Amino acid sequence: MKRLGIISIILIVLLTSTGTSYKTETKQNFDTNAKMKAVFVYNFTRYIAWPEEYKQGNFVIGLLGETSITEELNKVAATKKAVNQTIEVKKFGSMSDLSECHILYVSSNNSGDLAAALQKTKGRSTLVITERDGLAAKGAGISFKVVANRQKFEISKGNIETRKMTVGAALLSLAIVVD
Amino acid sequence: MEVENNISMSKITTKVVMTLLFIATCLTTSAQQATVRQALKALQAEDLETAKGFIDSAAVHEETKDSSSTWYYRGFIYKKVYNSTEKSNKNSSARDVSVESFKIFLELDKKSELFETAYKSVKYLASTYYNDAANALTENPERYELAIINFEKHKQTMLLIDPNHDFRSLEMQFFLVLGQVYNQLYERDREKNTSFYEKTEDAYKLVLGVDSNNLSANYNLAILYYNEGVNIIKNLDYDLDLITLTLIQDEVVVLFQRALPYAERAYLLNPCRKETLIMLSGIYFSLNEMEKSQQIQMELEGIEKIGEYRELLKRVSGLQEGTDEFNNVQNKIKELIENYSKINYCSGIK
Repeated sequence: MKRLGIISIILIVLLTSTGTSYKTETKQNFDTNAKMKAVFVYNFTRYIAWPEEYKQGNFVIGLLGETSITEELNKVAATKKAVNQTIEVKKFGSMSDLSECHILYVSSNNSGDLAAALQKTKGRSTLVITERDGLAAKGAGISFKVVANRQKFEISKGNIETRKMTVGAALLSLAIVVD
Repeated sequence: MEVENNISMSKITTKVVMTLLFIATCLTTSAQQATVRQALKALQAEDLETAKGFIDSAAVHEETKDSSSTWYYRGFIYKKVYNSTEKSNKNSSARDVSVESFKIFLELDKKSELFETAYKSVKYLASTYYNDAANALTENPERYELAIINFEKHKQTMLLIDPNHDFRSLEMQFFLVLGQVYNQLYERDREKNTSFYEKTEDAYKLVLGVDSNNLSANYNLAILYYNEGVNIIKNLDYDLDLITLTLIQDEVVVLFQRALPYAERAYLLNPCRKETLIMLSGIYFSLNEMEKSQQIQMELEGIEKIGEYRELLKRVSGLQEGTDEFNNVQNKIKELIENYSKINYCSGIK
């Protein structure tokens, strides 16, 4: 009895000490939300049509403020094209840095700059996407929104068409249309 | 420990062989009983092959096959074969024959003087099955099937001498490691080894069926689901169409939701475990529950400041109360406690 007792103790130690190590995937290692948003953003380039004069040169995605999507969009730029255009990601630290772009992605922290960003891009075919929800109703073209733990998006057809872009029906069918 | 076991087993074996021979010579002699005796003589001479031949012959002969001592000797001889030549073989047939023989002996005779030795031998053999089960898992994950077989044999063997033996604790230990092994095999090639995902899940659920508060099983099951969701997202192609993306999103949300109760249970069982906090924060984040994710992140920061906290407590104890330095350190301690409510609890300071 004593012998088996000792053996069992040794075995239990053996079993508990040799467990495989686990990689804990966390947002520090991998940002699941950023990847999802990046796939959405790339899809927007396919479902929204820009005017002819915007179909030359690089397709510029501007990022206003610090956002976790940057790294993922850089990967998109490195591996994909917007139809035939090379994708270029530009970071704008502030409103004064803002220059011509096809998409302007406004980070959550910079949501307060939306009005100024809309003003600065007025008359241009710039698709304004906001990280914070509710802003499609305030002039943005698209706003990300969390619904039932899922990443969804609000869309303002009016705001997009005012800027001479057209929205595909397939995109509208999957969006929360605010107008 | 195993070396020690071998030496003591060897001493016991010599004594037992002498005793057996003595008993055997006292038996009324007949042709077949002589066969048993010859088997024991061969055993004493360390001629195990001859011993096996004689005892196997006795085990099938009409005259000796119903004699409990035949089965006892057979069990004993095969145990000796196992110890001498097959100990490193996790699939030893000599050991199986030994156990099977002792089983028949125990069924035939529970009262003889041989019972105690048989009991000890069976117990010893049962422990070697468990040893081999554990070693098969830890040495080579690919041998998990052999580990399961040996674990089952361990149980069956133990039941011969203790029909009410409680295996729950041992099963939990075994299935926790088995789950980890399955997971390892799954991670090697997720596409090819899909069956190991379910096997991993089943192993941890089996543990939780015995003890729903098992921290490792809760943590491991949560991380299985969580990692699955993360991996699906990680491997998404950027030009995936929106309809497929929506469907995949539904699928991963289900995985994260499935992970959550186990992660929360693991957190309740130990709110100071860094790995659990990292995982729980990640699950909340992936479910877009940002406030909860942030709260856990704060707790994680607190865990990372435990060293600093302990250092400050040590410093303050050596300072004179009321001095500027004392007040300064005291304020830093207060600040840490205010910012990280669990820091005192998690640092283990009473």
